[in-house]
Amino acid sequence: MSETDVDADTAAQHHVGAGPRDDDHTHADDPGTNPLPDGAAERTDDVGEVRATHAILPGDTPDDGTDAAPLALQRSGRPDHGGGDTEYWVEGADWESLDDAIGESTLTINMGPQHPSTHGVLRLVLECEGETVLAVEPVVGYLHTGIEKNAEYRTWAQGSTFFTRMDYLAPIFNETAYSLGVERLLDIEAPERAQAVRVILMEFNRIGSHLVWLATGGMELGQTTMMTSGFREREHVLDLLESQTGLRMNHAYVRPGGLANDVTDDFAERCLKLADYMEGRIGEYEQLLQRNPIWVSRLEGVGVMTPDECAAMGVTGPILRSAGVDWDLRKRQPYCGYEQYDFDVAVGHGADCYERFLLRVQEMRESIRIARQAVKALPGGPVMVDDKRIAWPSKLALGPDGIGNDPTYIRHIMGESMEALINHFKIVTQGFAVPAGQVYSAVEGPRGELGYSITSTGTNRPYRVHVRDPSFVHLQSVDLMARGHLISDVIVVVASIDPVMGGVDR
Amino acid sequence: MATPADAPPPADASGPGGDTPIADPDEAAAAAATPPDDPRRPSAIPGLEGDPLPLEALAERIVNGFGAVTTDISHGELTVQVAPERVHALLLFCRDDDAVRANVLADLSALHWPAGEFVVERQPATTGWPDYRIERDRGVIEVDYLLRSWFRNHHFRVSVGVDDTEPVLPSVTDVWPTANFHEREVHDMFGVDFTGHPNLRRILMPDEWVGHPGRKDYPLGGVEIEYEHDKFIPSPQDRELRQVVGGERGGDRHE
Repeated sequence: MSETDVDADTAAQHHVGAGPRDDDHTHADDPGTNPLPDGAAERTDDVGEVRATHAILPGDTPDDGTDAAPLALQRSGRPDHGGGDTEYWVEGADWESLDDAIGESTLTINMGPQHPSTHGVLRLVLECEGETVLAVEPVVGYLHTGIEKNAEYRTWAQGSTFFTRMDYLAPIFNETAYSLGVERLLDIEAPERAQAVRVILMEFNRIGSHLVWLATGGMELGQTTMMTSGFREREHVLDLLESQTGLRMNHAYVRPGGLANDVTDDFAERCLKLADYMEGRIGEYEQLLQRNPIWVSRLEGVGVMTPDECAAMGVTGPILRSAGVDWDLRKRQPYCGYEQYDFDVAVGHGADCYERFLLRVQEMRESIRIARQAVKALPGGPVMVDDKRIAWPSKLALGPDGIGNDPTYIRHIMGESMEALINHFKIVTQGFAVPAGQVYSAVEGPRGELGYSITSTGTNRPYRVHVRDPSFVHLQSVDLMARGHLISDVIVVVASIDPVMGGVDR
Repeated sequence: MATPADAPPPADASGPGGDTPIADPDEAAAAAATPPDDPRRPSAIPGLEGDPLPLEALAERIVNGFGAVTTDISHGELTVQVAPERVHALLLFCRDDDAVRANVLADLSALHWPAGEFVVERQPATTGWPDYRIERDRGVIEVDYLLRSWFRNHHFRVSVGVDDTEPVLPSVTDVWPTANFHEREVHDMFGVDFTGHPNLRRILMPDEWVGHPGRKDYPLGGVEIEYEHDKFIPSPQDRELRQVVGGERGGDRHE
């Protein structure tokens, strides 16, 4: 586009002050909706012999899009302003020269990286013809923090702290996927209680993530009520996570081998209360939006992807299930004991953004169902493997400052056992070594398959961890979903993907 | 000029496999035998219930059907190693073979194994495992394709190693368009050139970046930033990154 701009500018300089025909003004005054007014054909007939050597539209534009261009224009082509002997002048409106108006029927628009509807620092380069989007190129990398590289210089236990910050709306999923992978390499399995707590927190985290999706998606489509409600309810989810992990986000609570700490005594009570509360609220959102004419007309029929397109684009999660593919890793390849729980995988057939809305609401219901069962069946016992070479030794207890070290444990290592003290220092400073090998561990995140490719060479640090973040993969399909729609539909498409740039850029 | 009516969204075009999508939710509800409130409606594409092949059978099938690959099963995962010039054909085979049916490229990542000699520390004092020594004449970039089958519910890894001085691999964007971003990331981080890629540019790092940060010979951070007394730390724009990683071959290509 930049070249064209330069051309247009120089052309404008040459033609400034020229005397145009009067009727050009009337046609040229309507730039947005009708960039190629009917009068254009007459004008090119007037200028007669000017013929361009190149086609009207650039070669990379889809062929079917050019069919609709006015026939007269296709005949006459674009005037060559380089060395044509016939000159014609025009001025007024948004066009500085006539070839702007005639030849360049596509317009490149830059949306983002600072745009309220792009879910963070996402830049979309839209190629438009009028309001119709011909192509979208997502540009990412603005939030790249090098987490994968950083993790190679830290111990395995510190990995949780890094990876929880990737997809920051789904921190528990990141931690769990990473921990499951490391546990596979270590050939250990976290205790049952830890697995159940992981499931409960993951499902509440899923609800929180979907609520943010509802809230931000609603805000982008003008549903500010949904925005305030969604964030309000998410606070309750964050309260639960904070009560167990100490942090609202970036918990680093799930560690290789189990959990950082046992849950509090009132954990089950809190969970059940939150589940009851959420169930009513989710019904409210459904009532608010499901038959809302604006919501429905904005979402319906937009961003359709067929199952084959999903397979080609590697799409997973709610987008895939909205296309009618019954694919959910929780059912297909159960982890963390998901096979014990009775739940349904929400599958829709609309394959459009509206179906994804219905499906995510349904998923929240299923999450509550799973969480209730897991809380009910929450087994007792430890939450960390009983291996002193792996388990993080320090314990936390509630002290006068709100949080603190467990005095019993401090007495043990400081006064009773030198070996325990040595072990404590070894584990905290050096970490534990993980046998050499390579695993891919994936969980069903709120956005889709969240996979961790972990490679170890047998040291106390990962050799390489690569994260397959669903947002990163799904962003490519914006182009496929938004083609042929209007610019405003791009917002809907991006919202339906629910990208989290922290996960995309890592 | 193309109007929305003239240029229909991809929705209306049926997929290559003939799975025509139902764009209208009402139709979808009507088409589904069960009421729309039931979350578990039948899947739109049949055959998802296929049993996964055991890893040994999967390896056998690939070796018999394609040949000239080595397979390795560890940690409950199958890794198929193949030569760079045959990787494209192998991926096509895995996608189209009736028994393997790996229809999705789930992930594409890379690792760098630099040349030289180094010791893998296993900290025998705590772990009891011996250290071991690795020696490589030439550095290798290992590119891993993780293939997944919806139909048979199995996944496995196709691994290919290329020399890290001139890493070139055929692009698989023609097999799975989703490889586009993945290959751009591997190109960005490891400097692998994927021939046939439609848009091979950096994706995460800035376009003018020098070096490939995923490689092991690229230092973390690139510059010394530790604070000492009143040492002046230049802003990122002013740091001489080229001095640190300028000797790297990958950087020169992007000058």
